[in-house]
Amino acid sequence: MALQDEIELLVRIARGDQAAFLLIYDRYAGHVYGLGLRILGDEMLAEEATQDTFLKLWSQARRFTAERGSLLAWLLTIARRTALDRVRLEDRRPALSGATDPEELWQVIPDADTLSEETRWRSLHMVVQALPAEYRQVIELAYYQGLSQSEIAAALGWPLGTVKTRLRSAMQQLRQAWQAQ
Amino acid sequence: MTQEHPFLDDLPAYALGALEAEAAQALERHLRTCEACRAELASYRTVREGLLMAVPPAPPPVRLRGELQRQLSRHQKALPRRSALSLRWSALALVILLLLLNIYSILQVRSLRREQAGLARRVETGQSALAMLAAEGTQSIHIQAGNVSGTLLLNRGRDSALLILWNLPALDLEQTYQAWLIDSQGQRTSAGIFQGEAQPAYIAKQLLAGAALSNFVGLGVTVEPAGGSPQPTGRRVFKIDF
Repeated sequence: MALQDEIELLVRIARGDQAAFLLIYDRYAGHVYGLGLRILGDEMLAEEATQDTFLKLWSQARRFTAERGSLLAWLLTIARRTALDRVRLEDRRPALSGATDPEELWQVIPDADTLSEETRWRSLHMVVQALPAEYRQVIELAYYQGLSQSEIAAALGWPLGTVKTRLRSAMQQLRQAWQAQ
Repeated sequence: MTQEHPFLDDLPAYALGALEAEAAQALERHLRTCEACRAELASYRTVREGLLMAVPPAPPPVRLRGELQRQLSRHQKALPRRSALSLRWSALALVILLLLLNIYSILQVRSLRREQAGLARRVETGQSALAMLAAEGTQSIHIQAGNVSGTLLLNRGRDSALLILWNLPALDLEQTYQAWLIDSQGQRTSAGIFQGEAQPAYIAKQLLAGAALSNFVGLGVTVEPAGGSPQPTGRRVFKIDF
C-alpha cells in the first residue's frame, strides 16, 4: 500500500469511514498484535492492547504526519506505548528468561505481500542476528520491556556501566549496518 | 562524549527511552541548542523504528475485528472533531448569549427601579392621604362614574387636594388621563396628568393647579393625547362639583 493511498485512507478514517479503517486494520493488525504479544507475553492482554491501538487510530487519524515516518511505524509506536502503559498499570512484566530468546526475538516471518520498506528492515534484522547475545538482550529489555538502564542493570545483575556500554555498542552496530544497506 | 557534546553517549539510550529521567531532562535541554546532537539522535530514531518492525507479526483472534467494528459505532459520535470554524461560531454564539443576558439584566434592573419608584410614590401619596384625613377641615367627596369610583380629599385651608380613583382602565401609550379644576366661570385649569393602573387597581394623584383651591368649584377628568392638553379635548371620565 503506497503512502499516498494510506494518507487517503487516513483522511477517510478521520471523517468516520469504517471501510477505510478496516482496510488499514486488515493490513497491519498482525504487526500490532505481534508487538503486543512480544511486550505483554499474554494473548488476552495483547488483544486488548491491539484494540486500544486501533481505537486510537480511529480517533486520532488526523494527527498522522507522513514526514515523521510510515503509517506502520506510527501505529507500532502507539502500540508499543499502549502495551507498556498496560505493563506499568498492572506492574506486569513477562519473565525475563522466557522473553529474551534471541532467535525467537529476531526471527521475521516471511510474507508474500511484503513492502519494500519492510524488506529493508528485514535486512537490518539479519544484521541484528549477528549481534552478540548480550547486546540483543539489553536492547530487548530497554525497548520491548520499557526498562531504564538502571533497571536493566538490576534485572540482569550487571554493572550499570556495562549496560550503558553494551546498549550503546548495540545501537551503533545496528545503525552502521542499516546505513550500509 | 566530548566537552562540546557532553551527552553524546546517552543518545542511543535516549532514543530507546531507556535513559533515566534526570539525565533525559539534561539531554533535552542540550538538544534544544545543539543541531549536531539532534542529527545524531535522528539517526538512532531510524534504528528504533526498525526495531518496532522487527517483531514477527502474529494473527490476532478473528473476533477482534468484529469487536472493533462494534466499538467504532460507539465511538462514532465522538469522532467529528469540532473545526476551528465551528469553534468560532460557538464563541460568537456565547458572546451573543452573554450580550442578551446583559441586556436582559439591565432591563430587569430598570424595571425594578421603576417599580421601586412607583412604590415610593404610593407610600408618599398614602402618607399624604392619611395626613389629609387627619387634618382639620378636610372634605371627602365621593366619586362614582360607571365602574370608576373614588374619593377626592380636599382641604382648602391647606390648599391641598388628593384624588384617589379605583378601576380606572389603562390607556394605550398615545393617551393619558388629565385632571381639570373648574372655577365658577366654568374655566378649566389643568391639575396634572396620570395613567390608569391595572396593579394595583387604584391611582392616587396629588392635584396641583398653580392657583389657590379656593378659586375652584369642581373637578373633571378627561382622556387626552399623551403629554396632556391646554384645555379639555377628549372624552370625559367624570365631573364633580364641590
